[in-house]
Amino acid sequence: MDYSLLLPELILTGVGLLLILADAFGADRRTVTLAGFVGTACALVAAFTLFGHSQDIWRGMIRVDDFAVFFKIVFLSVLALLFLFSGEYLEKRRVKFAEFFILATFATLGAMVMAASHNLITIYLGLELLTISSYVLTGMLKGDPRSSEASLKFFLVGALTSGIILYGLSLLYGLSGSTDLRAIADALRTGQNAALATAATVFVLAGFGFKVAAVPFHMWAPDAYEGAPTPAAAFMITASEAAGFAALLRILVIGLGAAADVWQAAIAVIAAVTMTYGNISAITQTRTKRMLAYSAIAQAGYVLVGAAVATSASISAMLFYLVAYAFMTVGAFAVVVWLGNHIPGEEIEDFKGLAQRAPGLALAMTVLLVSLVGIPPTAGFFGKFILFRSAVAEGLTWLALVMVLNSVISVPYYYRLIRNMYLGEASEPSRLSVRPGTKVVLGVSVAVTLVLGILPEPLVRFLTTVQLLPLP
Amino acid sequence: MTLTLLVFIPLLGAAIQAFFPRENADLHRKWGLAVSLIGLVIVLGMWGPFDSGLAGVQFEEQAAWIPSVGASYHLGIDGISYPMLLITAIVSVLAVLASWNISHRQKEFFAWMLVLQTAVYGVFVALDYLLFFFFWELMLIPMYFLIGIWGGPRREYAAIKFLIYTLVGSAVMVVGILATYFKAGLGTFDIIRIAEEANLDPNFQFWAFLAFFIGFAVKVPVWPFHTWLPDAHVEAPTGGSMILAGILLKTGAYGFFRIVFPTFPAGADAFKWLLALLAVISIIYGALAAMAQRDLKRMVAYSSVSHMGFVMLGLAAAAGTVAGARGLVDSGSVAHLVASGSLALSGALFVMVSHGLISPLLFFLVGSVFYDRTHTRMMDEMGGYYTKIPVAATILAFAAFANLGLPGLSGFVGEFFTLVGSFPAFRVDVIIAAVGLVITAAYHLWMLHRVLMGEGKPDERYPDINGRELAVGIPLVALIAVLGIYPSLVTSLFNPAVGHLMTKLGGI
Repeated sequence: MDYSLLLPELILTGVGLLLILADAFGADRRTVTLAGFVGTACALVAAFTLFGHSQDIWRGMIRVDDFAVFFKIVFLSVLALLFLFSGEYLEKRRVKFAEFFILATFATLGAMVMAASHNLITIYLGLELLTISSYVLTGMLKGDPRSSEASLKFFLVGALTSGIILYGLSLLYGLSGSTDLRAIADALRTGQNAALATAATVFVLAGFGFKVAAVPFHMWAPDAYEGAPTPAAAFMITASEAAGFAALLRILVIGLGAAADVWQAAIAVIAAVTMTYGNISAITQTRTKRMLAYSAIAQAGYVLVGAAVATSASISAMLFYLVAYAFMTVGAFAVVVWLGNHIPGEEIEDFKGLAQRAPGLALAMTVLLVSLVGIPPTAGFFGKFILFRSAVAEGLTWLALVMVLNSVISVPYYYRLIRNMYLGEASEPSRLSVRPGTKVVLGVSVAVTLVLGILPEPLVRFLTTVQLLPLP
Repeated sequence: MTLTLLVFIPLLGAAIQAFFPRENADLHRKWGLAVSLIGLVIVLGMWGPFDSGLAGVQFEEQAAWIPSVGASYHLGIDGISYPMLLITAIVSVLAVLASWNISHRQKEFFAWMLVLQTAVYGVFVALDYLLFFFFWELMLIPMYFLIGIWGGPRREYAAIKFLIYTLVGSAVMVVGILATYFKAGLGTFDIIRIAEEANLDPNFQFWAFLAFFIGFAVKVPVWPFHTWLPDAHVEAPTGGSMILAGILLKTGAYGFFRIVFPTFPAGADAFKWLLALLAVISIIYGALAAMAQRDLKRMVAYSSVSHMGFVMLGLAAAAGTVAGARGLVDSGSVAHLVASGSLALSGALFVMVSHGLISPLLFFLVGSVFYDRTHTRMMDEMGGYYTKIPVAATILAFAAFANLGLPGLSGFVGEFFTLVGSFPAFRVDVIIAAVGLVITAAYHLWMLHRVLMGEGKPDERYPDINGRELAVGIPLVALIAVLGIYPSLVTSLFNPAVGHLMTKLGGI
């Protein structure tokens, strides 16, 4: 058993334990964030060295393949950036920042486990580690009743969801006598008990539908994302959601390949409804976080298009979009967090005149928002373009059209931020300072957004090799 | 390398400008002008090496860009794009010069002007669908800011309207691009290769034509997609209006020449009646709407709708003459029809060039020279400017005569070619369009009558046009006059490309 295959997880566990110790000895914010960032960066480097493996360890409980490593890199990147931009926000709101980072670290660990297994037990364990940490993260603004309410709602719905997923997984176990996805696939391929297989598929789909906040399983999401501390919302919208997609893809493509026509059709409809609902709801929001929450729902809809098409091209496109989405969203949230440190209200109106008060930051935010709309030359455009292309190639032109129309629907609310920044007049014209941590986060996210938008070839080419199974 | 430099030098200029101190307005102005002048020098420098006898692509550059989806970095120009580059370069420089007195946030203003230049040059030289689309969308963001930050009282409304109209058009166009890509089955987004090699069935061409038509028709704009235009033009700052009217509208028409007609000749054939009909409606409606305006700038904006109708009429006529020639045996009448179609296309291109010079001049006069002095654009509050500011008034009269199509000035040539060339294909439409010319003459003369003649308010005194304003106006005046007398200066550039396009249309 080669422990080096688990190096990123081991390092991250070490980081989590170290932060607990640091907290016990009363380390200050700077030390905690710096130690956390450096540790996460080490885990990130370790993850990069693991590409090219394809093996099961611990009797198939953990799988190390490019798909898993790819997702680990996404999660670790989000966590690393989180360390850089959230410290001041947490301290200003009297959140115990060390606890926050410890929980975020273990949540990331859960996400990494979730993406790295063919076994239902491991996937479920990872899922619970991620979600239980997230419940607490959501409720950490103790002074704010919205945060507690969000946490409670999230917890109740989350517990129910876990039950639904478990029920679906138990049906799969009953059908095949195994918790390994490949054994389940073999059992389903015989075609017996098709009705039960369909039922299991529906439960799994519904359960993960809740986790990735797809309509009609989304009702917890806007409240949870709005009430949660902003950095926690950023984490959940990017890393948790990506983890949900990773697990969902593994279960569907590898385990439930035989029931593909059931879930492909269902996901296509869910995707169309999710993006449309998210975008239309976002238009009327006045609070930045709630608007971004609905925008996250809409973006999840775009990603689901890749799952609905379920070809190797569409899954590559999905992975591409997830990376792009993670970076542009974390960047946008870094701006919201930063602004929240200066103007506590978190209203969209607060963005007024930002182009005068912090020009570089306003420009960075503009690039990120343009990418979220899906206008070239950004990663958001190219990601959507290849998702779209994969849908048209498989004859799902209607879904592609819905997606394009949705990009247009999303223009007003993303542009409202840009309009406020550039066309609005600030109530107070003084310049606002930007901390180095936030600058780094924005620099990285804007650079990734533009590089993936202008020169996407290397990543696209790489992603064609990151496959779950030989797909059509 | 020439085209790459041309496209990216303005962007680089904007990036460097980001490091200049904000307060130094003069530095930003001069930098903007200097970088724009580099573009003009490059474009003029291409005049010598450009072989006007060739129909194909010149100054070609090709490199792998995103091979896994079939997109390449493919640039090149032919006789259709080179004249567009010329007006882009000229109008860009003059628009920067016309924006000298922008009163606030100069740094951003001139940076966005430079970014806009990159986008427009890119649109005119890109020969790959994806690359074209990149530049096409890149035009939106700077223009949005130019209208939204430095525009008139209703700037926000105008800016977002412009943005949404164009984005809806481009969204439909993306669908068309991907559908064409898959249907062509060549695994490439190359505009030229798909046009030359793909065998697209007529039924598909019908739908693809429609998708691209919506994308480009919004930009041209063709009636009934034009409603963003009066708002955007009126609210935009003068420099923005000049670029919008002079160049951006041409990108829409250029899309028909570069993409729609060569790639979907059967689609063009199927839609030629509709195109001609919309063209004539645009001509008449634009002229009547212009006549009804009190606001001088709005009048000029509607006149753009009217003039761009001639471009569409010429395009429709090219498809129409080819269709008419197909059933004929007599080689003499075939040759006559093909010659007419070519004339109509040349006329359409000439209208694009000529309108690209006249409309910036008019917008400059109306939006800056006159407005800065009188602080009104309402014609019934004006009057008697011939005696008060004689030089400025004379230039306005010149521009108005050019715009109404006075023989001897460039406005006449293109419209005359278009009408003569279109007559064999669409007799009724041409006759109606000719009525449009009469209306055009009428509202221009009426405008001159109201603005320049009469007594005016007795206590008004204004300084006449100044040196900087003359520097913007005189080059345009000179070019309009030269092209009116010697049109083959540019028609010789696009004749081979027009011939090539006619062959493409004929080989449906």
